[in-house]
Amino acid sequence: MTQPFLAIRAIRKTFGSVVAVHDVTVDIPKGEFLTFLGPSGSGKSTTLYAIAGFQDPTSGDVLLEGASLLSVPPHKRNIGMVFQRYTLFPHLTVAENVAFPLRVRRRPDAEVKRKVGDMLALVRLEGFADRRPGALSGGQQQRVALARALAYDPPILLMDEPLSALDKKLREEIQAEIRRIHRETGVTILYVTHDQEEALHLSDRIALFRDGRIEQIGSGEDLYLRPATDFVAGFIGNSNFLPAECLETADGAATIRLADGSVVSGVRANHDFGRGQKARLMVRPEAFRLTPDHACAGLAVEFVDTAFFGERRRVVARTASGQEIDIRPTSDMADAHRGGASGGRRVFFDPAAAFLFPA
Amino acid sequence: MLLDYDRMGWLRVMLLGITGLVTAFLLLPVVFIVLLSFGSSRWLAFPPPGWTLKWYGELLADPAWLGAALTSMRIAAIAAALAVVIGLFASFALVRGEFRGRNVLRGLLLTPMVLPVVVFAVAIYAFFLRLGLGGTTVGFVIAHTVLALPFAIIPIATALEGFDKTIEDAAIVCGASPLEAKLRITLPSIRIGIFSAAIFAFLASWDEVVVAIFMASPTLQTLPVKIWGSLRQDLSPVIAAASSLLVLLTLLLMIAAALIRRRFSK
Amino acid sequence: MADVNLTLRESKAPAGQAGTAAMPGKAPFRFPAGLGGALPALVLVTLFFVVPVVALLLRSVTEPEPGLQNYATLFGDGTYARIFLNTFLVASVVTAVTIVVAFPVAWMLAIMPPALGSIVFGVIILSMWTNLLTRTYAWMVLLQRTGVINRTLISLGIIDEPLPLINNLTGVTIGMVYIMLPFMILPLVGTLRAIDPMTLRAAALCGASPFAAFRRILLPLSLPGVAAGGLMVFVMSLGYFVTPALLGGTSNMMLAEMIAQMIQSLLNWGLGSAAAFVLLAVTMALYALQLRLVGARRVGGGA
Repeated sequence: MTQPFLAIRAIRKTFGSVVAVHDVTVDIPKGEFLTFLGPSGSGKSTTLYAIAGFQDPTSGDVLLEGASLLSVPPHKRNIGMVFQRYTLFPHLTVAENVAFPLRVRRRPDAEVKRKVGDMLALVRLEGFADRRPGALSGGQQQRVALARALAYDPPILLMDEPLSALDKKLREEIQAEIRRIHRETGVTILYVTHDQEEALHLSDRIALFRDGRIEQIGSGEDLYLRPATDFVAGFIGNSNFLPAECLETADGAATIRLADGSVVSGVRANHDFGRGQKARLMVRPEAFRLTPDHACAGLAVEFVDTAFFGERRRVVARTASGQEIDIRPTSDMADAHRGGASGGRRVFFDPAAAFLFPA
Repeated sequence: MLLDYDRMGWLRVMLLGITGLVTAFLLLPVVFIVLLSFGSSRWLAFPPPGWTLKWYGELLADPAWLGAALTSMRIAAIAAALAVVIGLFASFALVRGEFRGRNVLRGLLLTPMVLPVVVFAVAIYAFFLRLGLGGTTVGFVIAHTVLALPFAIIPIATALEGFDKTIEDAAIVCGASPLEAKLRITLPSIRIGIFSAAIFAFLASWDEVVVAIFMASPTLQTLPVKIWGSLRQDLSPVIAAASSLLVLLTLLLMIAAALIRRRFSK
Repeated sequence: MADVNLTLRESKAPAGQAGTAAMPGKAPFRFPAGLGGALPALVLVTLFFVVPVVALLLRSVTEPEPGLQNYATLFGDGTYARIFLNTFLVASVVTAVTIVVAFPVAWMLAIMPPALGSIVFGVIILSMWTNLLTRTYAWMVLLQRTGVINRTLISLGIIDEPLPLINNLTGVTIGMVYIMLPFMILPLVGTLRAIDPMTLRAAALCGASPFAAFRRILLPLSLPGVAAGGLMVFVMSLGYFVTPALLGGTSNMMLAEMIAQMIQSLLNWGLGSAAAFVLLAVTMALYALQLRLVGARRVGGGA
């Protein structure tokens, strides 16, 4: 049996009677970029803090190459971390900040100097060595924090919502930097965020947290295209949930009846549904088409509003039963336009891109 | 981790131990003096051989002690009232005023707090000797008002800085005169600062020793002067009784301050 | 200053007149806006503080005859030199001990649960507000030859003979540290609370042991507070009169006591005021340094 690089084994954390983390178990191969995604209070940060050593888990274990980390005090764990807030040492210059972990490890001066140069080059802040953190922008500060966390070549880098204090444009810029640095250094990264776009953009795998448990773990594509639960479907990407009634299930596919009475077969279902059971059908906004092609299901709607978003058009439509749904057609832009802002028409979707979940 | 109370391990045990010892050190003289005042030993043996109230009896029977306490009370009350009123006006000028040398003025008004009291004591003693105010209540009040003024200005100015002036402007827009707006809106809003100022200014005069030693005359003595004189003679338990009453007063002031703060912060 | 004038003119003068108003610097005299309220305080402090102090200082160069001979005596005579030296020694020892004792307490107070912290704060305020003479009296009784501390130590068998704890440097140091502790602890709590605990977590993850994190991060970051508080304690100690007079010995008299003695007992106004000037000058110089450290814009010194 091969040993996982980093193993999180049944980590459980309780605060009084509140269970913050429920027996979370994950194996992380070396060099992976794994993101803990989830709403606030879902246990993702608590799990990360247990790995960093800021919180002792109530039970469970964290193993790095087979050896438990829990009895190791944080300063001996040799883990890198970038925090949500700027945690640069305000009395030290940028270079001294990056040198700090090397100094406390009593590395020789020449090595410290070389490494600080390398690190500042890595985060593209060569000219800022002698500045104080207070004289840097938020984005620059987080890049210095990244350099400091990587200076001692830690096997694992933890990142706790490092971009949440930055504005959108800067966030995207630094996301690109993080990807590049991950590629160049090959460090194993555990990244915590509540921003699904950020998670999709950065990660090899995403562990989606909900109420202290991992709801689903997999690549971004897995979570987006094959959500295990309606929570995953709702959290990752946009989705419409249409009330439905199950008529028949077989081999992960189901036949259902929608609220307007139309019957659709071949939608995906990874649960067993009883005949006549109430369910919800999830359809992504971009899965809708304005013209039918082969094997498409149709839905009678009325367009309420259309808005132009550049590459896509966003249409708010109302179904016969009065539910508003979100539609984002791509190829049929002209057609959508011709349809006008209102008026009855049909929209279509591929059943194989629709998922059935319990109501 | 050094600032995570729950994650400090043995370090926290050590630091809490030191904190406990220092707290005990700070509490020791206060508790000790109160216990001693009930002890029966004239020579201040501790633990006392028995318990008695006779030192309080002696204290209250001696008109000199009572007179000194009343004198202190009178001077402190007048000085505190003057310091708060003058300090209130000064705070408005320091916080709201726009004039050259505002910081210089601020520094000047706060200097009596930082200058060694002994220098001021000697200076005002010489000055009042010439004016014929030495040993008079007026002289005492003036000197103590000067010393109490910074203690009144600091809390009032701080409260005023924290008060959003646009609220006062809003009252004026509503039709209140500037004076009315200040009386009905601003002053109630900064009342905690004013009460703190009153307590601090009172204590500044009530506890003042050095100026009082120079200013006192045989006929006009404040309580600290009386204690000072007795201390230089012998360490009589009567002083312990007087001191205990002062501790009681301090406690009452602390409780009053806490109650005021709690009531107004709601 | 110019922009202050400008805003004044804009807010006070009708818009049409703004253009015709005199150039900055040539403006006709106008009563400074908002100064009025400070007048009573200004008069009080000028008349009964500035004038008496200046008058006193003048006596140092006019009595017994005009000239600097008082200062020559003060700096030339070994007796006075010893008093200066002793004053600085006591103030330094008191400051050093106060910092060392106050730091751990402030550290805990900055992070401890509020319920527990409020007890410690309560004791600090109680000791601070308790009458100065009361506290000093308590220490006189506690520290005397037959006092509780000596008796306890003897009965525990730690010492055979009573220790000389009073009328010497030990007594002054204990009494003064007692008085100064709150002035050090309270501002330091503020400084330590302003430090983000995350910074120290980051230091730990970077590999810094608790000791290294203390020496390289916590201590440097709290240094401004330590320096400001320490300077304040030092300045206050330099001019302290009551506690040294009651707990100190005749052989280690301090400057404030000497000034009082010169004037009250010896009626040597010239020398007394010269010594007062020295004390004032040193105090004010250190206070100016303190202002620069803390930032002059704040109203209070944190006392």
